[in-house]
Amino acid sequence: MSTQSASSPWKTLVALPETVWRSIFRNPLPSSDLGRASTSFTNFFLHLHPVKVHRNSLKATYTFGLGLVSFFLFFILVVTGILLMFYYVPSTSQAYDRMLDLRGTVAFGIFLRNMHRWSAHGMVAAVFLHMCRVFLTGSYKPPREFNWVLGVLLLLVTLFMSFTGYLLPWDQLAFWAITVGTSIASYAPVFGKEIKFILLGDSTVGQEALLRFYVLHVAVLPAVLSLLAAIHFWRIRKDGGLSRPAEEDALTAKVPTSSVEVVQGPAVVMATSAAAAEAAKPVLEKRHYGIQGLVRGPFTKVGNVPDRSVFAWPNLFMAELVVFLITVAGVLCVSLFFNAPLEEPVNIMHPPNPAKAPWYFLGLQEQVSYSAFWGGVGIPTIEVLLLLIVPYIDRKVAGVGRWFARERLLANSLFMTFVVVNVVLIIIGTFFRGPNWEFVSPW
Amino acid sequence: MKSPVKPVVEETGDAVTRRRVLSWFSGFGLFGSLIITAFSNLIFIKPRATYGQPNRFSIGKPEDFPSGARVSLDTRRVCIVRDGDKIAAISTTCTHLGCIVSVSETGFSCPCHGSRYDQDGTVTGGPAPRALPWYQISLAPNGELEIDKDTEIEQGSYLRV
Repeated sequence: MSTQSASSPWKTLVALPETVWRSIFRNPLPSSDLGRASTSFTNFFLHLHPVKVHRNSLKATYTFGLGLVSFFLFFILVVTGILLMFYYVPSTSQAYDRMLDLRGTVAFGIFLRNMHRWSAHGMVAAVFLHMCRVFLTGSYKPPREFNWVLGVLLLLVTLFMSFTGYLLPWDQLAFWAITVGTSIASYAPVFGKEIKFILLGDSTVGQEALLRFYVLHVAVLPAVLSLLAAIHFWRIRKDGGLSRPAEEDALTAKVPTSSVEVVQGPAVVMATSAAAAEAAKPVLEKRHYGIQGLVRGPFTKVGNVPDRSVFAWPNLFMAELVVFLITVAGVLCVSLFFNAPLEEPVNIMHPPNPAKAPWYFLGLQEQVSYSAFWGGVGIPTIEVLLLLIVPYIDRKVAGVGRWFARERLLANSLFMTFVVVNVVLIIIGTFFRGPNWEFVSPW
Repeated sequence: MKSPVKPVVEETGDAVTRRRVLSWFSGFGLFGSLIITAFSNLIFIKPRATYGQPNRFSIGKPEDFPSGARVSLDTRRVCIVRDGDKIAAISTTCTHLGCIVSVSETGFSCPCHGSRYDQDGTVTGGPAPRALPWYQISLAPNGELEIDKDTEIEQGSYLRV
C-alpha cells in the first residue's frame, strides 16, 4: 500500500511529458493504414485534407502546385505584412520616412519589405497561372463550376489587394499609379465618379486616400480573401477532389456494392442536393452508408477498393511541404538579390513621364491609352463576366482532366487568345512605352 | 392506446397560414435590415467633409497676373490665363486619367498618356475624351481673385478686371 502511493506520483511525473504530448497529438506517427487515416483527420491542420487522395492529384505536371503556391505566398504576405505594420504609419507626412527607416534602421526591414513586395507580385502571377491551369485542363466543368467562380473572385481580390498596397510607400510610383488607377474607375458608367470619390475619400489622392487604402489593404481585403479561400478549399473536397480524366474514375465505378461497408443507422449528412433527393426516395431496403459524408462523384469509398488513390499521409503532405519550401526558398532568394523599388517622395507638381501603373495593370493602361472607357472599364468588365459565366455555358465534360485536350480545342484556343492578348499588352506597356506614352524601343 | 404522431407542420396546400405569413414578414424584415445595413455603410464611408484642399480658394490680386500670363498653380491644379483685362481659370487635371498637364507652347500637354490641348483647353490629340474645364473665377470684396472649382463655366467666358 505504502509503496504504491509512493511510486504513483513518481510514475505520474515520469509519464508527464508523454501524457501531455499524447493529449495534444492523439496519434503516434502512423505505421498502419488506420493510423495514417486517423492522423489525417484528428489533426486540426491536416483534417482539411481527405484521408486518401487520387494519384492524379499528386502529379506535379498536372497542377504544378500553382494553387498551393498562391496560398503559401499569401501566407508569407500575411506574416511579413503584420511585421511591417509594426513600423508603418499611414500618414502622408510619415509614410515615406518610414520606408527609409525600413532601409536604414529597422532590423531586417529592407528584407521584410522585399519579401512582401516580391510575394505580392508573385501571388498575382501564381493566381493567374493557376487560373490558366484550371482552364486548360477543363477543371471548371461540372461539378466544379462554382469553385471556378470563387477562383475568379479570388483573382479580382488579389489584384485589388496588390493595388491598395501599391499606394502605401507614398513615393512617386505609388502616387501616380493610384491617380491613374482611380481615374480609370471614374469611367465606370453612372457610379464612376462616386466610386472614385468613395475610394479616395476626397477628390484627389491625399491623406484620406492613404488611410482608406491602408484599411482596405490590412483589414478588409485580407478578411475577404481568407473567407473566399476557405470556401474555395472546402469546395475542392465537396466537389470530389481535384479534376482528373474520366478514365481514372471508370476504375472505381466498377466497385461491387457488396464490398462497401453497410451500416444501419440514421441518414448521413447530405453533401449535395442530388444526394438529398436520392435519400428522399422511398427506401426499399434500409441502407445507409456509414461514411464521413456523401460527396459528389465516385470518390469517397470505404474499405479496400481497387483504385488509384493513396493515403494523404505522407504522400500529399510531403508534396505540400515540398511546394511550401520551394515557394519560401524562391521568395528568400529573390528578396536577397533584388530590392523593392522606392522612388522619390511624392511630388504633386511633377508626374514622372511616363507614369506607369504596376506591371499587371500595364495591359489595362495600354488599352486605356486608346479609349479610357472601353480600355479601362468596358473590355475588362466583359472579360470578367465571360470568365464568370464560362462554366455555365461550356457544359460538355469531354476532355476534362487532361492538358490541351483535343475535344476542347475551341475553348482552349479562345482562352489562350485572351491570355496571349493580355500578356502582349502588358509587354508593350512595360517595355515599349516611353515618355508621353509614345512607342520606344527597349534596346 | 397509441395515438399516431401528428406531423409538426400540417399540410395546408396553398392556403395562407398564419405561420407562412409570419415567415414572410420575418424574412422580409431580415432581408430589409440587410439592405439597410449595406446602405448605411455606403453612406458612412462617403465622407461629408473632406480634409484636403478646399475647392474654393483665393489666388491673390489681379495685378499678380500680368497680361499674357499663363501661370500654372500646380498645387491647386489650375492655370490662370490673363489676356488684357480678361482673366480665366482653366483646370490642369487631364480629363483622361487625372495627371497634371503642363503648359506648353501650343496649350497644354499631358505627360501620362500624351493628351494634347490647345490654349483654351480643347482637345487636339491623344486619348483625352473632353476639353479641360474652366472654373468660375470672381473678384472677392477684398479685391482678391477667388476660384470655385465646384462650378464649371463655359469655355471662353472670362472675368473682366
